[in-house]
Amino acid sequence: MLRKAIVMDYHRIVEMVPSGKREKLSTKLIDLILKSKNADKMPSSLARALLHQWQRSPLTNEIGITTLLEAAVILESEKTIEALEEKLQLPDVAKAIRAVE
Amino acid sequence: MVRFGIEFVPSEPYWKTTFYAIQAEKRGFDYLWITDHFNNRNVYVTLTAVALHTEKINLGPGVTNPYLINPVVTAQAVASLNEIATGRVILGIGAGDKTTLKSTGLEMHKPLTAVKECVEIVRRMMSEKNVTFEGNVFKTNNAKFFFKPATEIPIYVGAQGPKMLALAGRIGDGVLINAGHPKDVDYAVNRVKKGIQQAGKRLTDVDIAAYTSFSVHEDMEKAAQAAVPVVAYVVAGSPDVVLQRHGVDEGKAEKISGALKAGKWGAAFGLVSSRMIEAFSVCGTPDMCIERIAELLKSGISQFVVGSPIGTNVRKSIDLISDRIIPHFEK
Repeated sequence: MLRKAIVMDYHRIVEMVPSGKREKLSTKLIDLILKSKNADKMPSSLARALLHQWQRSPLTNEIGITTLLEAAVILESEKTIEALEEKLQLPDVAKAIRAVE
Repeated sequence: MVRFGIEFVPSEPYWKTTFYAIQAEKRGFDYLWITDHFNNRNVYVTLTAVALHTEKINLGPGVTNPYLINPVVTAQAVASLNEIATGRVILGIGAGDKTTLKSTGLEMHKPLTAVKECVEIVRRMMSEKNVTFEGNVFKTNNAKFFFKPATEIPIYVGAQGPKMLALAGRIGDGVLINAGHPKDVDYAVNRVKKGIQQAGKRLTDVDIAAYTSFSVHEDMEKAAQAAVPVVAYVVAGSPDVVLQRHGVDEGKAEKISGALKAGKWGAAFGLVSSRMIEAFSVCGTPDMCIERIAELLKSGISQFVVGSPIGTNVRKSIDLISDRIIPHFEK
């Protein structure tokens, strides 16, 4: 139930991302996750969801980015917010994530 | 036409390896090899995860060994995996490495015989109801599965030394040659071809793969830097004859080996020279890698395996190989 609620929150946040920035955001989140030293913190259910979606899509759609965002916040919270604010110029999205945290 | 394989070491959580495996399948790789060392994640657990998330790519251990895992268990594992990825499973068998075996209290006893007998037992377990085998290293007594394996599984033999290379040609459906330099690969392919001829097979019956330490980056220096740790281990484990073939100082190789054993990584990696990188890896910009692969193809390989480290950033390197290297060989 809790994860479902979190997913709903993240889904609403992803809707705030302009479509022109989604691909760049997806790539940034993928790199944050893959380079993370906290890979062992990835919940197994989230890992399965991520792999399921990656097999079927390029992870640039809303569902894919929602999953990536959830994983990135768990593994690299500060770096994710920093990337949203500085590299992607999405301060409102970063603020919304802080509120979910 | 050469086909491309990729190797992953399951040293990180399964989801990362599986993520890269899915990417490799999407980006045009035909083969996926997962290394088998007891100190990493289990090879068959990793392969199961990959099998469940892929559709086309051929996949298997690259390579397992008959000492740590009994041949009947290897047969059971690949037959079971073949239920998930029917027709896509491949099996790499080699003698293993002495250091890893030693740490488990095992000796590399009669490696040629062990590999030969392992291949025979696995094949018979796949096709016969009861297997009784009296070998010099392995024995089975009426061993049987309580299930029917779905299809035959191609067996690749991992080889480096002259006798193992010839044996691989004789008994393998494929051969995994652990080298990336034209001098080594040329030598190895000739030995494999002798084995193929001895067995009365056609050269095209056996998939000959160069299983390389590979590193690609648009910046040559960065590619080389990423290759250093893997090259250090290759140099430390190479026999003198191979070091001499490439003009690598044996004393320096010994120093690298000593530093690695002592856990002095900085010292070991600092001793790796550009000559060593050139000899023991395929490394550089995409164009440089294309040139090297083209040279290796002249020896007669039919599969090129991109092995560790792949590059400084695995995801970007897979894309780079797919965008720049693979298309060159599809022309």
